[in-house]
Amino acid sequence: MTNTFQRLQAIVAKDHKLDIDIITADASLESLGIDSLGVAELLFNIEDEFRVRLPVEPVDGLATVGDVARFIDTLIAAQPAPTADAALVLPLGAAPLA
Amino acid sequence: MRRVAVTGIGVLSPLGNGCNKVFDAARGGRSAVARLTGVLAERLKAPLAAVVAFDAAEHFDPAKARMLDRVSQLAIVAARCATADAGLDVGSVDLDRAGVFVGIGMGGSTSMDDGYQTLYGEGSDRIKPLLILMGMHNAPAAWIGIEHGFRGPNLTYSTACSSSAVAIGEAWLRVASGSLDIALAGGSEAPLSLGSLKAWEAMHTLAAVDASDPSASCKPFSADRSGMVLGEGAAVLMLEPWDRAVARGAKIHGEILGYGLVTDASHIAKPSVEGQAAAMRAALTSAKLDPDQIDSINAHGTGTQANDAAETAAIKQIFGARAHRIPVSATKAMHGHLLGAAGALECVLSLLALQHNTALPTLHLRSSDPLCDLDYVPNAAREDAAGRTMLSNSFAFGGTNAVLVLGRAVEK
Repeated sequence: MTNTFQRLQAIVAKDHKLDIDIITADASLESLGIDSLGVAELLFNIEDEFRVRLPVEPVDGLATVGDVARFIDTLIAAQPAPTADAALVLPLGAAPLA
Repeated sequence: MRRVAVTGIGVLSPLGNGCNKVFDAARGGRSAVARLTGVLAERLKAPLAAVVAFDAAEHFDPAKARMLDRVSQLAIVAARCATADAGLDVGSVDLDRAGVFVGIGMGGSTSMDDGYQTLYGEGSDRIKPLLILMGMHNAPAAWIGIEHGFRGPNLTYSTACSSSAVAIGEAWLRVASGSLDIALAGGSEAPLSLGSLKAWEAMHTLAAVDASDPSASCKPFSADRSGMVLGEGAAVLMLEPWDRAVARGAKIHGEILGYGLVTDASHIAKPSVEGQAAAMRAALTSAKLDPDQIDSINAHGTGTQANDAAETAAIKQIFGARAHRIPVSATKAMHGHLLGAAGALECVLSLLALQHNTALPTLHLRSSDPLCDLDYVPNAAREDAAGRTMLSNSFAFGGTNAVLVLGRAVEK
């Protein structure tokens, strides 16, 4: 079980008041009561938790919790490598002040 | 046209939740206007409002509550209460002939305010993904339709302070004409965000705080009136054809007898005596009643200098010398101005006044104004005074004047 999956589990459990044990990798989002609007909300929270930025275009193909965890890992891998530039570690949305 | 009965009422208001609490508070002359606290108190010149006691967690699971602005939460719960009160088996209804009609003024203003705070205040580019669904004006009506499965017209009216009187009137027209079998109609408003309160403050329409008693700050028809106080809440009615309601043994709260809708087409904010009078005249024509057959009035009565003087003149224009003998109640002194929900709440209060034959009081009326010289039922309710037939006036910025004619439930 990856660290990504466990953090995702915690987000889903908290936002939807679910028992963490039922949030398995194979569990479909639909079975957990997470519809398309719930997915939009989940992706928003994932941006905060994992400090990743979602693509502008719609995200498709997320059927299970495991799918979401793998998608997050893909986003993390696509992030620019850390540099000494402090701007990279700012929380998303906290635009550098002019 | 068919007779139309009100068979269910759901109301969440600053005076309380449910008809009994609302009516007891109104009859007892208890003002729900109070000082605001926290950030709102720090940022407003006159931090006043009338607030509803409401906890969304008692009615919605967390995921659902997060996608609903307070204005939708209040509307949904009011509609649930109206349906439960009606005792109607929704399975017996032709859902294609069942409609939803909701008045709303400010939309999901708290959610939009929060979004702007994120965007401009915090300099973030990340807005909550469901903000559109929370902020859109038709969200309350849409959710009510979804919960009840009503597939007929699902309409939202936004004519400022007359919105929900329009919603009820338009629903009445469709049920009376036979184009619908049933309708949920009313209004909802949750305008107590900093953004909307400051916008109202900037218009110089809000009341100053009464230093000796903040709950007495809204003083309709009194010479020392200084403006209105915003309130929040929702009220929803179940409307059914009279004969159908009788046939199923429904409890009937009262009858919608008519509806007048006239637009000033003159000024965006200044009330027009002619427009208000024309709306009352149109309502009487619609109900096929003479002015002599109106026993009492629930006034628009906002507590602004302009409205109260204009409304008094308009009532005199319609009722002539008899105007001075008609009880005119301005209940906004107690529950504040619910904007898009005002007409619906005042329709409910009027129906309850008729049921109990009690004219509700106009509180804090202690200083007479020569321009406001009618019988406003000052400061205490009056028993045996509401009669059998009432007007409920709702006038608005934008000039859309709506008047409902309401009757006590009586067989003819």
